[in-house]
Amino acid sequence: MERRVCQCSISTADGSALVRLGDTTIVCGVKAEIAEPELDRPNEGFLVPNIDLPALCSPKFKPGPPTEEAQVLSDRLNDVLLASGIISRISLCIEPGKSVWVLYIDAICLNYDGNAFDAALLAMVAALRNTRLPKAAYNEETGRTTCSRRSLLPLQVNKLPISSSFGVFDSTHVLADPTTFEEPLLDTTFSVIMNEDGKLVSVLQLGLGLVGQPGTLDRCIAAAKAHSSDIRNLVYDTSNTS
Amino acid sequence: MHDRALINVEVNIVPFSTGERRKRSRGDKRILELGSTIKSTFEPVVQTSLYPRSEIDIFVHVLQQDGGLLQASINASTLALISAGIPLHDFVCAVTGGVHSTAPMLDLTTLEENDIPHVTVAVMPKTKKVTLVTMETRLHVDRFGDIFKLACEAGQVIHKEMKRAVSERTQKLVTAMEMGPRVVPSADVGDRDAMIDDLNDY
Repeated sequence: MERRVCQCSISTADGSALVRLGDTTIVCGVKAEIAEPELDRPNEGFLVPNIDLPALCSPKFKPGPPTEEAQVLSDRLNDVLLASGIISRISLCIEPGKSVWVLYIDAICLNYDGNAFDAALLAMVAALRNTRLPKAAYNEETGRTTCSRRSLLPLQVNKLPISSSFGVFDSTHVLADPTTFEEPLLDTTFSVIMNEDGKLVSVLQLGLGLVGQPGTLDRCIAAAKAHSSDIRNLVYDTSNTS
Repeated sequence: MHDRALINVEVNIVPFSTGERRKRSRGDKRILELGSTIKSTFEPVVQTSLYPRSEIDIFVHVLQQDGGLLQASINASTLALISAGIPLHDFVCAVTGGVHSTAPMLDLTTLEENDIPHVTVAVMPKTKKVTLVTMETRLHVDRFGDIFKLACEAGQVIHKEMKRAVSERTQKLVTAMEMGPRVVPSADVGDRDAMIDDLNDY
C-alpha cells in the first residue's frame, strides 16, 4: 500500500501538507489568527481542527451540508489532537490574558478510498510540522498585537501522534487500513493512536467488539507501533528535505 | 427536461486559500454566482443531448488562489470534462485581461485585480466563438475592443497548452493499454498481434 506525505507549498497558508494513503488523498492547511483567550484560561491558545468530505471525493457523499461522517471525524480528530498534546496550548500564548494564537487546521479530502481518519490525522500532523508563525508582540499601550512580516518561527511541535486503523471481518479476520470496498462489510473497526515513545494516546472501537481471539488487540497494538514509526520517519524525511 | 443532461456546478473554496482565512458558507452569493457562471459557460459546449435524464456534476475545489479564479475554474473544468470522457463541442479556454493606464495586461493577480479594470473572456478556440465575457469593473469603451481581442488571442495560446496536456495523458493511457495484452503470458502471439492491430485502427 503506497503511503506518501508531500510538503505542500500552499503559500497562502501558514502550513500545509498533502497525504496519500493508498488512494485516499487529503490536503490540509493551517492558518493562524489572533484572538483573546478565555477568561479562565488566560495563557492558552486554541486549536480548531476541521475536516471536509466533499461530494467530489467519493460517489457515496452527496452534495450539501457536511455529512454525519465528516462531523464525527472532525470531532474525533479534535479529541485526539488535544489529548496527544502535539502542541502545548500554552506555547500559543502571545500575551497572557490579552492575545493568543488560534490555529485553524482545515483538511479537505480529495479522494476517498476508506480510512479517512488515519490520513486526516497524518495530514494535520504534517501540516502542523510545516507551519511557520510570524513573531508576534503585544503592545501594552495600543492594546494591539503586531506581527513581524519577515521573521517566521516554526511551530513548536512535540511528539507526533500517528493512527493505525483496523477492521474486523466476520469476527475472525483482522484487516489493516480498510478500503472503501471493505468498510461497509466490517462488523467492527478500531483505531490505535500511538505517540513517539510507544505510548498509547487513544484506542477507539466502534462495533460489535472483538469476539473470539483475546490477543487480537495486543497484536494490533504491536502492529500499530511498527507502522506508526514508519510513518513518522516519512514525515520527518519530508520536512528535512524541504 | 427529458432530452438532455443537467449540468450542476458546485464551487468549494477552502478557508486557507486566500491570505485572510475566511470560512465561506455554501450559500455565499459570490460562490453561487461563480458556480452559475461556470454552468452557463459549459451548457452550450457539453453535448448534453447524448445523456438524457441524467446529471453531470462539476465540483470545483479551490486550494489556493491569487487572482484569475473564474478563468482557472473554467480551464480546470474543461480538462476535467475531457478526462471524464464527456463529449464537448470544443475546448473552453478562459483568460483575464486588464488595462493599466494604456498598457494591456493578461492573467492578473489578486493585487492587480483589485486595482485595475479587468475582463474575463472564455473562447472556444476552434471556432473562435466566445462563450463567456464578464466584467465587473469600469472600463473605457475605447480600451475594451483592444483588450477583448488580446484576450481572445491569449485563449488560443492556452488552448495549445491544454491540448498538449491532453495528448500527453492520452499517450500514457494508450501505452498502458498496449502494454496490457503483453502482460498476459498465456496469450498466443497471434492473439496479441490481432489486439495491437485493433488498437492501431483507432
